[in-house]
Amino acid sequence: MNLNFVIIKLSKVLILLLPLAVLGIAAFSCVPASSGGGCAGPGAQGWSGLTGYNGILYFGSMDGKVLALDPSARSRGLSFPSEMEWSYTIKAPVPPGSICGPACAPAAPGVKIYGTLAAAEELVYVGTYNGKVMAMNRSAPGYDEEGNPSWIEKGEWFYPRGETKFIGAIVGSPVVAGDAVYVGDSEGTIYALDAVSGNKRWEFETGGRIWTSPAVSDGVVYVGNYDGSLYALSSRDGSQLWKFESPAAIASSPVVSGDNVFLGTFDRYLYAIGSADGEERWRFEGENWFWASSLVKDNVVYAGCLDHKIYALEVRTGKELWQFVTDSPIVSTPVLVDNLLVVVSQSGETYILEADSGALERTVSIGYSVMAPLYAGGNMVYIHARDRYVYAIDVQNGEIAWRFSSDIE
Amino acid sequence: MAELWNSIILEPVLNSLIALSEILFSNVGLAIIVLTVIVRLVLFPLTLRQTQSTKAMQSLQPKLQELQKKYGKNQRKLQQETMMLYKEAGINPLGCLWPMLIQLPIWIALYQSIMRALAATPENLLDLSQHLYSWSVVSQAVPLNEHFLWFQLSQPDRYLLLAILVGGTMWVQQKMVTAPATDPRQQSMTSMTTLMMPLMFGMFTLSFPSGLALYWVVSNIIGIGIQYFATGGWGYLTTPSALKPEPARKIPPAEQQSKVIKKAYEKKKGAFRR
Repeated sequence: MNLNFVIIKLSKVLILLLPLAVLGIAAFSCVPASSGGGCAGPGAQGWSGLTGYNGILYFGSMDGKVLALDPSARSRGLSFPSEMEWSYTIKAPVPPGSICGPACAPAAPGVKIYGTLAAAEELVYVGTYNGKVMAMNRSAPGYDEEGNPSWIEKGEWFYPRGETKFIGAIVGSPVVAGDAVYVGDSEGTIYALDAVSGNKRWEFETGGRIWTSPAVSDGVVYVGNYDGSLYALSSRDGSQLWKFESPAAIASSPVVSGDNVFLGTFDRYLYAIGSADGEERWRFEGENWFWASSLVKDNVVYAGCLDHKIYALEVRTGKELWQFVTDSPIVSTPVLVDNLLVVVSQSGETYILEADSGALERTVSIGYSVMAPLYAGGNMVYIHARDRYVYAIDVQNGEIAWRFSSDIE
Repeated sequence: MAELWNSIILEPVLNSLIALSEILFSNVGLAIIVLTVIVRLVLFPLTLRQTQSTKAMQSLQPKLQELQKKYGKNQRKLQQETMMLYKEAGINPLGCLWPMLIQLPIWIALYQSIMRALAATPENLLDLSQHLYSWSVVSQAVPLNEHFLWFQLSQPDRYLLLAILVGGTMWVQQKMVTAPATDPRQQSMTSMTTLMMPLMFGMFTLSFPSGLALYWVVSNIIGIGIQYFATGGWGYLTTPSALKPEPARKIPPAEQQSKVIKKAYEKKKGAFRR
C-alpha cells in the first residue's frame, strides 16, 4: 500500500483518537479526586508513624486499621494477635453529597491515617483524613462492626459526634498534653478536646490549612498553617498570645526546645522563633523544604530536608555543624538512640550516624519508600514503610530484627 | 526519559502556572485561564494551519466520495486517484497531523501541571516539592489556594455546571468542523462521534478535579473562537447534520475533474515557465 496513503488514513484515525489519548494519558497519571487523588502519583494513602506506651506500639496502617503490636511477641515470631495485640478497621463512610463519575475507583474500605497516634492512660487517640478524632481503649477497642454500642462503656469517644459529622481532613498528629487533646484540621481550625470525654473545650480558626501537628509546652499551644503563620495560643482557653508570619507556608510541625520553636517553611528555611515573644532568632537556608520535624538535643538541632541532606545546627546561632547527604529526600523525622542519629531517606535507605560528627556508622536498606516519622524504643528503631510493613531495626548491629505486615484480615 | 520530560516540558509549565497564580492575586483559577490562553496563543500558528488543512480536506469530500464510488473495488486505483486529487488541489494531508502532534506534549504538560500544582493530597504535595524552581514567587505561592468562584479546584464540581460546559463547548467545536455526511451509514457514524466525545468528556468531568475541567472549558472556547475567525463563521454548526445527496450529474466525474485540474495546472506551470 502506498505509504502516503497509509499516513493519510492514520492521520484521520489519529484526529479522532487524539482527544481520547490525551484524556487517557491524563487519566493514567491521575487518581480521581473523589479518592483523594491528583495527577502527581498515587492518591491519599496515609503514612502514620508508630508510638509506644507501656511497651506496646500503636500505629495506623495504610488501609485504615489501627493496630497494637507487642514488640516482644513480634521478635519471638508469635502469630498475630498475641495477648496484648489487636487491630481495628476504621471504615470510611462516603461523605454526604459526594458525586462520582465513571473514572472513580471503588471506595476504599478504610480511612486514611497520616498522623502518628497519641497514647495516654487507657486511651489511644487517632486523627483520620476524613475528619474524625477517635479515642480507643488501649487494651481492646470497644467499637463493634457497626461502629457503636459498647464504646461508651470503655470510655471511648469520637469527635465530632454523629456518624455524618466531620471536621476538615486531619493530616497532623493529635497531641495529648495534660487532660486535653489538641488537633488541627485542613479547614484551618485547631481544636482542644477533653481527653477523657471528647468534649470540645475550645477551637481557634487560623485561616489557613493545618497539615502539621501542634506542639504543646508550658501551657502554650504552637500551631503552624499553610498561610505561613505560627500561632502561640493559651492551652487554657485558646486565646492568642502571639503570631509569627513567615513569607511562605509552614511545612513542618513546630518543635519546642528551651526558649525556641523550630519549624521549616516552603521558602526553604528552617526558623528558630522565640517561644515567649514570637520573634525570629535565626534562619537557616536549605535547598528544598524542611518537611520533617526537627529533633533537638544537647544544643544541636537535627533537621532533615527534602534536598536529600540532614543538617546539624547549633541551637543558639543556627550555625551549621555538619551535614550528611543521603540518596533521596528526607521526609521522616529522625530519632536519636544514645549517641546515634537514625535517619531514613524517602527511598527506604536507613543511615545510622554519629550524632556528634555526622560520621556514618552503618546503613540498612529497607528497599521500600518511607514517609512516616521514626520511633525509637530501647535499641530498636521502628519504621512504617510504604510496603505496609513495620520494620524493627537494631541500631547497635544494623540488622532488621523483625518485620510485620499490616495486611492482615 | 521521565526526567527529560519533567525538566524540559513539565517543570517550566508547572512553575509558570504557580508563579502566575501568585502574580494573579493568589488565584489559581485565574492562573489556569491565563496560562491556557497564553499556550493557545503560542500555538496559534499551528492551530491555524491545522484548521485550514482540515477545512481544505473537507472541501474535497464530495470528490473523494465520488472516487470511492467509482474505484471502491480497486483499492490500488483508488489510492492513486486520491493521492492525485490531494496533489492537484495542493493539499498536504499531513498538514492536519503535524501541528496536532507538536501540540500534544504541551497539552499533556499543561494537564499534568494543573493537577500537580493543585496537590490535593499530602503525597501530591511532597511530589510537587521535587519539581519546583527556587524562585521566591513559587515558594511563596505553594500550596495553592484551590478555591475559585464556587469551585474547589482539586475536587470535582458538585453542581454539574462544569460537566455541562465541557460537554457543550466540545460539542459546538466538533459540530463546527464536522461536515454533514450524505451517505446514511457515514452519517450515523459522524453524529455518533460528534455526540459521544462531548458526552464522554462531560462524564469524565464528574470524576476529575474542577481545575482540569476549567482548563477544558477555556481551551474549547478559544478553539471555537479560532475556528470561527479562521473559517469565517460557524462552519457546519448551523447546517443540518444530514444533507440530501446531491444529484450525481452535478458533480463532474472524478477522472474528468482530475483532467480539468491537471490541464489548468499544466497551463499555469507553462505560464510560469514563460
